[in-house]
Amino acid sequence: MSRGLEMAGILLRSSWQGLRGAGLTGWIAVATIATALFMLGAFALVVVNMEGLLDEFGRELQVTAYLADGLGEAEAEELASRVETIEGVESVVRVGKAEALERFRAMAGGAALLEGVEGNPLPASLGIFLEQRRRTPEGLAILQGSLDGLPGIDEVAHGQEWVDGYARLAALLRVVGYALGGVLSLATLLIVANTIRLALYARQDEVDILELVGASRLFVRTPFLVEGFVQGALGGAIAALLLALAFSLLVPELRYGLAFFLGNAAPRFFDAGELFRMGAGGAGLGLAGAALALGGRRT
Amino acid sequence: MAAIPKAQNPNPPPPGPVAPVRMYGVSKSYLPGSWALRDVSLEIGRGEFVFLTGASGAGKTTLLKLLFAAERPNQGQILVLGRNIARLRGGAVPALRRRVGVVFQDFKLLGSRSVEENVAVTLDVVGTPRRTTRSRVFNILRQVGLHERRNHAPLALSGGEQQRVAIARALVGEPEVLLADEPTGNLDPELSVEIIELMMAAADRGTTVVVATHDLSLVERYGRRVLRLEDGRVVEQAPNAEAAP
Repeated sequence: MSRGLEMAGILLRSSWQGLRGAGLTGWIAVATIATALFMLGAFALVVVNMEGLLDEFGRELQVTAYLADGLGEAEAEELASRVETIEGVESVVRVGKAEALERFRAMAGGAALLEGVEGNPLPASLGIFLEQRRRTPEGLAILQGSLDGLPGIDEVAHGQEWVDGYARLAALLRVVGYALGGVLSLATLLIVANTIRLALYARQDEVDILELVGASRLFVRTPFLVEGFVQGALGGAIAALLLALAFSLLVPELRYGLAFFLGNAAPRFFDAGELFRMGAGGAGLGLAGAALALGGRRT
Repeated sequence: MAAIPKAQNPNPPPPGPVAPVRMYGVSKSYLPGSWALRDVSLEIGRGEFVFLTGASGAGKTTLLKLLFAAERPNQGQILVLGRNIARLRGGAVPALRRRVGVVFQDFKLLGSRSVEENVAVTLDVVGTPRRTTRSRVFNILRQVGLHERRNHAPLALSGGEQQRVAIARALVGEPEVLLADEPTGNLDPELSVEIIELMMAAADRGTTVVVATHDLSLVERYGRRVLRLEDGRVVEQAPNAEAAP
């Protein structure tokens, strides 16, 4: 076996001995990381559900392009196909004159308004839905510019105020999410670093002995970094389990309150990828915490 | 910092082949105006066994700490195995310590690891293959009479046994220099003799051994060379008993 592999094996063994010997201090570190990540995860859960809700709102955004009178069926179909190819357009729904009339009649008071009106005064239209990233005032302006040059479109209507409000809400959620998430992550990192530093003090003798027998800086530090990584991953996994438990127990209890905020949208839990990222985040946090704790220490 | 008064060495070491431990005009101060060591010069040859004596606070521990680079001198030159302690940087300190074994009064063993693991740590830090480590650890534990207790926790052993584990850890890497700071301080006289004889056996195999002790009965019993410290100065270098008639 090469010297490097031999050393890697020794370091892993030393890390395992460290983890095994960490005892209560080690479990306190895991519990602290789990608690901190549980709070961070609960906040992240609120954010992802808010984002989902915002996305639902965004789906209601529709730009309507009214078609010129006298446009044939085939020309309208071709126009719809062309609009669908415009960048940022998610889908296009065609509404014929007859369908528009029917919808108008179905609206409250619509039939009364149409009394005495001969023929069908309503134009055919295209209902255009935008991709999520284009649901902004800028996205709308770009779409407007693309539609302006197309023959067969008489007028374009969209709720500018609605879009502005939606964009402001999305930006606010993003800023608040990042700011609170950042503060919580920093607090978690500091808690983890402090916990690992305490664990390090508790094992000062071990560090002293390793240094005494000529261990390199890397040899002394690696087990603590591995320990931080493992404790972080374990803390992340425990936090994910506790969140899943809390979610499954609390959501049915709070369904009426949640319905007030989320409407018809069902509250969602993290998917597998997000749960993996939580575990990996915990491991990264543990590793960073250990590095931070070791950083200020003279070896 | 106050100037160091020069003192004539009462017993300058004899010239000879390059000694593993050499100190020239070494002074060490932890606080301004107060000296833990003052103008110490000495040489200790290969395979030599030397007692370092003196009252508490005389500077014995400081001298040993300087030799394994736990402290740096304020003045003077220290050469251990040809390396200048004052100029050691970064990775050079661990490299030197792998050639210098150290034993303490309080054993400094890891309570959470077995006797075997405690001794193996010296070989682990240099990436020794596991099979070689196990064999060398077994051999050294047999030499100190603890091979049958290699799986025990150190705290399950007596004080003398724990010190033998500490000596095994210091010797398993076959160091060229062995430093011991009051290794018998916590032991009764019979165990003290046992411990000193283990270290003398190492000296017989060519290791340079420096033992700091205030137990004069031990020093008198063996009649080896003695460096006596008083207020940070070497005030006496008794000749090597083996060289004396």
